[in-house]
Amino acid sequence: MKNLINFLIQYSVVFLFLFLEVISFTLVVKNQDYQKSVFLSSSNSAVSVMYEWSNSVVEFFKLRAANENLSEENTSLKNQIINLQNKLSTLKKETPDSVHFRVPPEMEYQFIAAKVINCSTNKLLNYITLNKGAIDGIKIDMGVISDEGVVGIVKTVSNRFSVVIPILNPKLEISCKFKRNNYSGPLKWTDGDYRFANLNDIARHVELALGDTLVTSGFTNNFPVGIPVGYIEDFKIKESDAYYKIKVKLAVNFRTLSHVKVINYLNYQEQKDIEKKSEEQ
Amino acid sequence: MPTVLQNIIRFILLVLLQVLVLNNIQFLGYINPYLYILIILALPVQMPRWVTLLLAFALGLIIDTFSNTLGMHAFATVLVAFLRNGIIKLFTSIEEGNNPTPSFYTFGVSAYVKYVVVLVLIHHTTLFILEAFSFTNFWITLAKITLSSFVTILMILGIQSLSKK
Repeated sequence: MKNLINFLIQYSVVFLFLFLEVISFTLVVKNQDYQKSVFLSSSNSAVSVMYEWSNSVVEFFKLRAANENLSEENTSLKNQIINLQNKLSTLKKETPDSVHFRVPPEMEYQFIAAKVINCSTNKLLNYITLNKGAIDGIKIDMGVISDEGVVGIVKTVSNRFSVVIPILNPKLEISCKFKRNNYSGPLKWTDGDYRFANLNDIARHVELALGDTLVTSGFTNNFPVGIPVGYIEDFKIKESDAYYKIKVKLAVNFRTLSHVKVINYLNYQEQKDIEKKSEEQ
Repeated sequence: MPTVLQNIIRFILLVLLQVLVLNNIQFLGYINPYLYILIILALPVQMPRWVTLLLAFALGLIIDTFSNTLGMHAFATVLVAFLRNGIIKLFTSIEEGNNPTPSFYTFGVSAYVKYVVVLVLIHHTTLFILEAFSFTNFWITLAKITLSSFVTILMILGIQSLSKK
């Protein structure tokens, strides 16, 4: 017994070391699948408040570019309004009163504007923290876009903050299609370069051209159809391959990302419920 | 208690520097220096080992919380804290009863450089391998380890050569 106690005391540091390493390793492994712990991630409010503070300094230097983007978007929106008004006025004259218009249910979206307060692009698993949370109506699984295109999907939400898995994280696959011919496939990021991602699921009979636009397919409940994801930068196919290896230049520049919109799909629950129901039957 | 105070201030300053500035550095897409490891490297030599280990664990968790990498920094930092004493014994001959803070002056230039190089390499290698865990991008990981270690080592040696005894 005395020997045992002596042994324990002598090697207590080693045991402490092993104990701490086991804890750390467990945290790493548990965290691989799905980050449940809001407390020890950057949606924790103490950490977020600090990031918000540091971001307010950094953002000052990005104001110019952000302004340009905003004014560009403003003009294009104004143009759309005018176009739509014109269409509406012509339609009103031609159609009788009894006909009323309905927005297709899959197009009923609302946008929640949010600001990026922390964004990594140089890790193998990147995350983005936003300054809006459950209070502002953000829920898990909502899509996130910027003026340029698709950013990612909301992963954890606390009261005032939320964390997004961007395209720059191999845990996320986004279903996209080509604008030109509607062939679709999942886009995945593995490169370690924040500008490019890969699309490896397009069969060899499809005709491709450099610069083709890739947009969201609308087959998932996160994004409406037709939001830009990227452009073909390069594609390869070997004699023996059945599928192209396509290098996609992402539409969003993650290094300068500052303002984003979270997509609130109003019929999300209804669509999910009915899909689940038919799977069960 | 100037040494304790000095270490506390160093802890806070380096953590802030790491999470607010260095975590945002992405030179060439590969270089991401982790200067915070200097907090562990600069602890006094005779510091009780269990204190060093717990400090390292807390430090790692703080950095993890800020970069959404739960457990990775904690693992690498605790490993460095554990191996530190062995490395010091290997490269230097510090007499019993002395309790110097590691630096160029107390270790000698070549011993201190070796000490920093070995521990930073261990730390960065563990960290980037853990980060690359689920996929096999060997060359990218290797490039990240080499380049980031190089920058971290340069920064640590630079800071140390500026500080007075």
